[in-house]
Amino acid sequence: MEIRIENLTKAYGDFRAVDGMNLTICDGELVGLLGPSGCGKSTTLFMLAGLTEPTDGKIFFGDKDVTKIPPEEREIGLVFQNYALYPHMTVEENIMFPLINRKVNKKEAKERAYEMAKLVHLEGLMDRKPKALSGGQQQRVAIARALVKKPKVLLLDEPLSNLDAKLRIETREEIRRIQQEVGITTIFVTHDQEEAMSISDKIAVMDKGVVQQYEVPQSMYLEPENLFVAQFLGMPEINTFSAVVKDGAIYCGQVKLREISGLSDGTYTAGIRPESFEVREDGFAVEAAHVRMTGRDLLIYFTLDKEPLRVLAHSDLQIEKGGAFKLGVRQNQIMLFDADGSMIGKY
Amino acid sequence: MEKKSLKGYLYLLPALIIILVFTIYPLIKAVLMSFYEGYSIINGSFDAIGLGNYKELFSDKVFRKALTNTSIYVVFVVPCSILLSLLIAVLLNSKIRCKGMFQTLFFLPYVTSVIAIGIVWSWIFNSNYGLLNYVLSWFGIEAVPWLNSPDYALMALIIFSIWKSMAFDILIFLAGLQTISPDLYNAARVDATPKWRVFLKITVPGISPMIAYAFIMGMINAFKVYNEVFSLFKSSAGPANSAITVVYYIYDKFYNSADYGVASAAAVVLFVIILALTMIQRAVSDKKTA
Repeated sequence: MEIRIENLTKAYGDFRAVDGMNLTICDGELVGLLGPSGCGKSTTLFMLAGLTEPTDGKIFFGDKDVTKIPPEEREIGLVFQNYALYPHMTVEENIMFPLINRKVNKKEAKERAYEMAKLVHLEGLMDRKPKALSGGQQQRVAIARALVKKPKVLLLDEPLSNLDAKLRIETREEIRRIQQEVGITTIFVTHDQEEAMSISDKIAVMDKGVVQQYEVPQSMYLEPENLFVAQFLGMPEINTFSAVVKDGAIYCGQVKLREISGLSDGTYTAGIRPESFEVREDGFAVEAAHVRMTGRDLLIYFTLDKEPLRVLAHSDLQIEKGGAFKLGVRQNQIMLFDADGSMIGKY
Repeated sequence: MEKKSLKGYLYLLPALIIILVFTIYPLIKAVLMSFYEGYSIINGSFDAIGLGNYKELFSDKVFRKALTNTSIYVVFVVPCSILLSLLIAVLLNSKIRCKGMFQTLFFLPYVTSVIAIGIVWSWIFNSNYGLLNYVLSWFGIEAVPWLNSPDYALMALIIFSIWKSMAFDILIFLAGLQTISPDLYNAARVDATPKWRVFLKITVPGISPMIAYAFIMGMINAFKVYNEVFSLFKSSAGPANSAITVVYYIYDKFYNSADYGVASAAAVVLFVIILALTMIQRAVSDKKTA
């Protein structure tokens, strides 16, 4: 089911948790709402669920305006951050619960619960209480319970935040698989960019209650619309510094980074991702202030005319603290932003 | 190490002495006294050791009346108080106006002296001018002689006690309700759960430890009922002992009749009853949680 969010706003007093949000999610897509804490992503999710009442704006599921419709009639499945499994019921009873409430007869409810259990690989655990399950298993019970009533939309609030690192990667693939198998329009909230980028069809990056950009993950990373998105995406974070454009070249302090044309002279904010540098004989000379070995990469800290920057180099580079080397920036990898933080272009 | 533990025991000593002198010693002494026949409290002499006091106790009609009354009292007061408290706690926990005021109001009986409350209630129960009979008269019910008739005295005591013990129950149920995650209620909403099912499947199981606790404590306290009787019937056990309870009986035998042996025997019987019921209760709730 297509979801359309129009001018959605949630205000708490003077604070606008969500501020005039517009977003369209196509049928069957998996969309990640990504942003720092307090950006309004969970508020948005709960407004979609109907548990939080919007101050203004409209939500459409397909052609139907659901803004005023209570959660139980919205045909949604919701998975809570802490899973919110009913602690005194077994897995089977938990999954059957939404059906029993909707007066599905016991036999059919049980059949459908077992069908769901099979989908999320929970067979054999049906008699357990939630307490006796691991975090990952609880998560899958929560998903099964959300999907058993065959909702049109699946909503997940920080689905992976309560799991340990290894389980996280496994579970996010599980979520993707289940979503693809059921073909359900799914929205999930996360503050973890890697999580969002790895499984989403599209990501909406939010900050201060506003969608900063809505894009497919790769384009979002390569073509951020503004400084916030550029800074929020990428680990380690993008290098930013104030760059001067004069006489047809971009300078960092006195160091000429790139010759360009068609840009008026002035000061801009430049962004260069750590992996966008390359070690090059004809580059500018720098000195390694620190070297951090991360396994696959070397993270080297250096200063370029007083600007502290970082470069991500391949781990086979032989360099130690204090060592000199030469760097250049790969073509088209210097992002320039104007005073408002909007992207001007890549050079 | 040795020195350290000695210091620890020294810290415990004051409390231990008080417990030994005022709890453990009287407990043992009461058990012993219940077996002494012809016991003199002045010089501590007794004629024989035997079951004479118990024989006398169980052949006493007043004791049997006290035991029956206390049992009826427990059977009504404990469950009624828990049910009503649960209902009120759930209401108080929902989004209502003046929540704080209502919480204070319902907790007041717990911190008010039983004697003071008893005086108010004896006015409420007054057959001619009482509030209760006034309200009942709206429904065409004739004046009930709550405190003056042996038929109604126990009922009056039970009504009074239910109201009084609700304060504590409401308090612990409210505390219990706070521990239930609001997400569970949200999940239930999304799952289209009818209200009564939310109550039965989420609220009640969520505070079942508090309910069990209220049940045990309520029962122990109900078996020990004395103050309520004393204050409601102005230092008597109701008309013709109609509202006598076991503790009232013990008190009466000890202080008014100076029948120390029988009073002690009654105390031991009460102790055994409470002990047995508590053990059964615990065994049942352990089985449930397992």
